[in-house]
Amino acid sequence: MNKLAAKYLRPSQIPTKACHGCGIGMIENWLLQAIDELGLKQEDVIFGTGIGCVGRQTFATWGGDNFGATHGRALAVATGLKLAQPDKKYLIVVGDGDAASIGTSHLIHAARRNLGVTVICEDNMGYESTGGQFSPTTPAGYVTNSSPYGMVEPGFDPCDVVKAAGATFVAETTATQWHQTVKIVKKALQNDGFSFVHVRFPCNENFGAYALGTRDTLKNLEWIYEHTQGRKADGSETDFTWETGIKHDASNSRPEFSRLLRDMNARVKADMEAKRRP
Amino acid sequence: MALFKTEKKPPRAGIAGKWDVVIGEDMCKACGFCLNVCPVPVFEYRTVPNKLGWFPMYVKHEEHCIGCMLCYQICPDFCIDVAAK
Amino acid sequence: MITVKAGGLVAPWIEWEKRCTDGRRLLEAGTYALTEGAIAAGCRVFAGYPITPATDIAEYMSKRLPQVGGYYVQCEDELAGMHACAGASLGGLKAMTATSGPGYTLMHDAYGWSITNEIPLVVVDAMRVGPISGITGAPGQGEFYIARYASHGGNFETIVVSPSSVQEAFWLTIDAFNLSERFRTPVTILTDQVISDMWEDLFIPADYDGLDFVRPRKHNLMMPFYPVGDASIDVPPNVIGHGTGVCVSAYTHTEEGYDIEEMEAQWAQTYRLVNKIRHHKDELARYETFGLDDAEVVAVAYGANARTVKTGVLEARRRGVKAGFVRLVTLWPFLDELFERDCRFVVCELNYDGQLVREVQRAAPHKKDVHFMGKSAELHTVSEVAAGLDGVARSNRLPELPYIWTEVR
Repeated sequence: MNKLAAKYLRPSQIPTKACHGCGIGMIENWLLQAIDELGLKQEDVIFGTGIGCVGRQTFATWGGDNFGATHGRALAVATGLKLAQPDKKYLIVVGDGDAASIGTSHLIHAARRNLGVTVICEDNMGYESTGGQFSPTTPAGYVTNSSPYGMVEPGFDPCDVVKAAGATFVAETTATQWHQTVKIVKKALQNDGFSFVHVRFPCNENFGAYALGTRDTLKNLEWIYEHTQGRKADGSETDFTWETGIKHDASNSRPEFSRLLRDMNARVKADMEAKRRP
Repeated sequence: MALFKTEKKPPRAGIAGKWDVVIGEDMCKACGFCLNVCPVPVFEYRTVPNKLGWFPMYVKHEEHCIGCMLCYQICPDFCIDVAAK
Repeated sequence: MITVKAGGLVAPWIEWEKRCTDGRRLLEAGTYALTEGAIAAGCRVFAGYPITPATDIAEYMSKRLPQVGGYYVQCEDELAGMHACAGASLGGLKAMTATSGPGYTLMHDAYGWSITNEIPLVVVDAMRVGPISGITGAPGQGEFYIARYASHGGNFETIVVSPSSVQEAFWLTIDAFNLSERFRTPVTILTDQVISDMWEDLFIPADYDGLDFVRPRKHNLMMPFYPVGDASIDVPPNVIGHGTGVCVSAYTHTEEGYDIEEMEAQWAQTYRLVNKIRHHKDELARYETFGLDDAEVVAVAYGANARTVKTGVLEARRRGVKAGFVRLVTLWPFLDELFERDCRFVVCELNYDGQLVREVQRAAPHKKDVHFMGKSAELHTVSEVAAGLDGVARSNRLPELPYIWTEVR
């Protein structure tokens, strides 16, 4: 185990249940680097996940306090938890199903309230733990187990949604941008408000096998790399390119949700005391 | 430009040989990322499986390591540590 | 097993009422009593979604919680509402949500999560007639079974209580919070549109801080976080944010909270979730009876219509029928012992499909002696109940009455 994993993770849960070549562990390693560079301790960070590949593989790996909510509801749980424990950093690591499909209403409203959590949406472009069905982030035309003739539904960019809903930090990276992801997650954690980081990563066993036609771990990560760069190894253009980088940075520009409620409580208390005085 | 290069660069004198490379072989799931992202020949597959059932990677030529940390960043199973000697 | 006590109300708040002498007498609604009961019990978070007839609880909470340093969150839906309550409870604050049938079914996701993670919570369900939206302003008693089986997957017991007056709603809310803390489980207060909206005499203690019968929140700071395979109660709830390294998840868990896929772990978890409630049924029994000593026929009811049914029993006794009365406050775990007697039963409830009656049929010694008087969207009248009791006492048959359904298949 590397030093950061030994410092922050739970030895009994490592190695994780992830398949070989799965990007979830990579991204978690980069999260640890960001946490370490910010000088945060295990007890400063509460780690929340949902259901699916990302939920299952990351749950209980964090050495501090963990929760794994029902499918899509990690942000709803975090809304209540933030009120009770406002001084902690919240790292809500969820998949594309949790963030962009079943839990989108909670994502939108957490962004609207500027809830002080950092959402890492780890996106493998489908529902892979149920065997590889398409999700709202599956690229158009790609074959999955529930779109055998190609994905016909239009795609969906969760970054646009949370930005429109009022998130104060929105960024996108992929599983081949380690330095950039570490930098972005550091910035996201420094925002006292709602931060959203969308990270695409390869799935070998399902998305790779059905959409890309290979279970070769190298080819699948290479596919992510090509679509990050917009160019294939031979120099030709890819069918589409992901726009990565910081998409919206209004860090600390408006008050955090639990802070608003606490300020209101202080105001109400002061008014009550003023009335009580003769 | 590909992420994984088929050709390895020859070992370089100077910066090479100053790094400790450690692999937790019992946690390795043999994805092959480290072997293929490494610009110089450092890693190699073992011919005996680990307790997870994979043929894990091991550090064959630590002396070639140039400390670029690519393997550390890309390892999905927290196995690799690279530190200055 | 519980030992059935002699007539009258069996509930802890009889003692509490005697101890609270200093207070205010008000004319207030059931929703107000439920809100004040929660504040008195130390509730500091309300997260929910407005729905008739529970909306007033949300409104009262939005006013009262900031005054006591609590938080009101109006969520995007009931799913978020109960999950946020569970989150707040995990963070160490007592929490409550309130809803009606359509929202209650949405909460089952969070209900199951709270049961398996042993998160103390109180859920108020103000029942209205259904299915689905039904009539928003009419009472119903259709969630008797839904409240018991409030999550999928089985392997759990739930605690469900039901008040039948505004004053009782106040005490029962405090009691529900105490039970949820002791048993580490969500508790449902199954009230209905009549009790919620009805205005009645209400006594409220002057000083909430001095209520020694309110159970304060304690924190479990040590392993085992989940005493699986152990039915003990009064284990302090787990807390997130105190650096204990607790793990809370939707999966079958070990003592540490790690997810596990083994039969033994599943059995151990189920043993705890079921038996922590089954083995302590005597701590949970709240009910009211009268006239059981000489009763040939016993009327059974809960909630709002228990009020008219009780008067109906008195009327039947005036007519010379040897009638008795059972009002359930604790609905689940079901108090079988109350019905293990050789007499006839008339079960009055506010639905036509028959829910409570099925449990009475199961618990009573003779199924043919259990009769059903179902009425929908309106309370039973006194004369209906008296006529029903009279008919059953004479011939073990209910007379034909308009608006009353009697068939249970």
